[in-house]
Amino acid sequence: MKINTEKVSFVEPLALESGEVLHGFDLMTETYGELNYAKDNAVLICHAFSGNHHAAGKKDGEKKPGWWDELIGDGKTIDTRNYFVVAVNNIGGCHGSTGPATPNNESNQFSGASFPEVSVSDWVKTQKLLADHFGIDCWEMVAGGSLGGMQALQWAISYPNRVKKAAIIAASSKISTQNIALNEVAREIIKKDQDFHNGDYLSKDVSPKKGLKAARMLGHITYLSESNMSKRFGRRLQDPENKIDADINYEVENYLQYKGEQFANTFDANSYILMTKAMDSFDPAKDFDNDLVKCLQNIQAKLLVISFDSDWLFPKEYGVEIQMSAIKAGIDSSYIELEGDYGHDSFLFYSEQYSVALTNFLNSDG
Amino acid sequence: MDNILQLIVLDWIPSQSKVIDFGCGDGALLKLLSEQKSVTGYGVENDPDKINACIINGVSVIQQDIDAGIHNYKGMGFDVAVMASSIQCLRKPRDAMKNILKVANECVITLPNFGNWELRLGILNGKMPSSAQLPAKWYETKNLHLCTIADFEDLCREESFAIKKNVYLNRKGKSTWLANKLPNLFAAQAVYLIG
Repeated sequence: MKINTEKVSFVEPLALESGEVLHGFDLMTETYGELNYAKDNAVLICHAFSGNHHAAGKKDGEKKPGWWDELIGDGKTIDTRNYFVVAVNNIGGCHGSTGPATPNNESNQFSGASFPEVSVSDWVKTQKLLADHFGIDCWEMVAGGSLGGMQALQWAISYPNRVKKAAIIAASSKISTQNIALNEVAREIIKKDQDFHNGDYLSKDVSPKKGLKAARMLGHITYLSESNMSKRFGRRLQDPENKIDADINYEVENYLQYKGEQFANTFDANSYILMTKAMDSFDPAKDFDNDLVKCLQNIQAKLLVISFDSDWLFPKEYGVEIQMSAIKAGIDSSYIELEGDYGHDSFLFYSEQYSVALTNFLNSDG
Repeated sequence: MDNILQLIVLDWIPSQSKVIDFGCGDGALLKLLSEQKSVTGYGVENDPDKINACIINGVSVIQQDIDAGIHNYKGMGFDVAVMASSIQCLRKPRDAMKNILKVANECVITLPNFGNWELRLGILNGKMPSSAQLPAKWYETKNLHLCTIADFEDLCREESFAIKKNVYLNRKGKSTWLANKLPNLFAAQAVYLIG
């Protein structure tokens, strides 16, 4: 599989949904496989909340491959022998694209907390500019899970003739009150870290890692299902030699501590806040008198909506709602509910049912 | 669905209509309707393999248990609803019929006739009968409410479901004189357009 990691710079100003303007921006991208001569074999992968452009393959020195490596590669679900797969790190993120932790173009200072609010439709706008950059007129498919699924849906709405198929996985057309509430608790935990300094921690050369870690621990619980946690950890006690913290009793505590810590070392707190805000505010129907049916009416892409039975963060009712609105709107759309052991995170992992459905969808006539 | 049934349904459903097919199987009928009559079609199916077949066929499908959800499709602008060989598998066929007629202006129902002579003979022999239309053994059949043509048409009269068109097919899937003269005895399947 040919992998190409590239930072693509855009010099034109970008008007954001919030009304603010970014004076040029960078997009960190990674591509797999090769774009064919007709440039009609391109698939865009949109990442979820904490994801990035590294969706597949293993780079030198890495312990783990990209976040959707189980599904992207030669001979895999999204077969890179046939498709040119593009993954991108969204603006506002912290993996190379312009965000709060990258130096501002003009002042060369970190924008930190002053980085403007970004939205799902802003991301889709930048991804459209990226398609232009690659000379891709129309994506064969745009796919993503969770917040990535929201981008896939937004693509079909914003650019009806530039996407043939949209796979909207473990996502919704807007998140629930409970989800907003959980996000707010996570943000509060971060902001209350003494090293947060109202978001300007980078200029003080510190990082609110304790807050980030705790926020991620909370988030992690919501990504897994109760049964999956029971199966994986049960009530087993942590063996003393591998305890991260002396206070730890159970394996699950150790696991969350470890995951939280790992995350806090690699993620930016302002990005966390921005990303969760973008998730909270996603509601494409708001521009259509709050009528999702009206919002979907102009879609030309074929949709595939997938929910997982063990996902309680984005339960199947959300997928069904998109599908029922699509049927009412009279657009081409299918809905399937898959078994997934991992709760909300099920979208990340291979299962035969999941793979067959996605492959069939991708290979079906547009 | 058999070819002959497909042709009948194809003939009855108006071009460019919006159709929902409850128990759509692999989506073959909807594919045909979309290709030949420019129909906007949606299938409702609960079997993952059949859903995958729909996706391969390029047919829009929603995974759902029909018993749980016919009423959810009210007010979605469907012209015709199709229920092919599924009505007898539902927990409450009468309520399902009522709901279907709220979902669409008309519905196409196909029905295996339990009154067919072959099945009557089976019963006379003291065994649960089987036929080409009803091949499953009693312990693995999905049929909960088998009925005869006479039973079904009684229900339509009682509930004022207007039978607009009907075709009776014999065991070989042909609409013969005999099958139409004495359908309850000689027809193996009936196809109705109800409005």
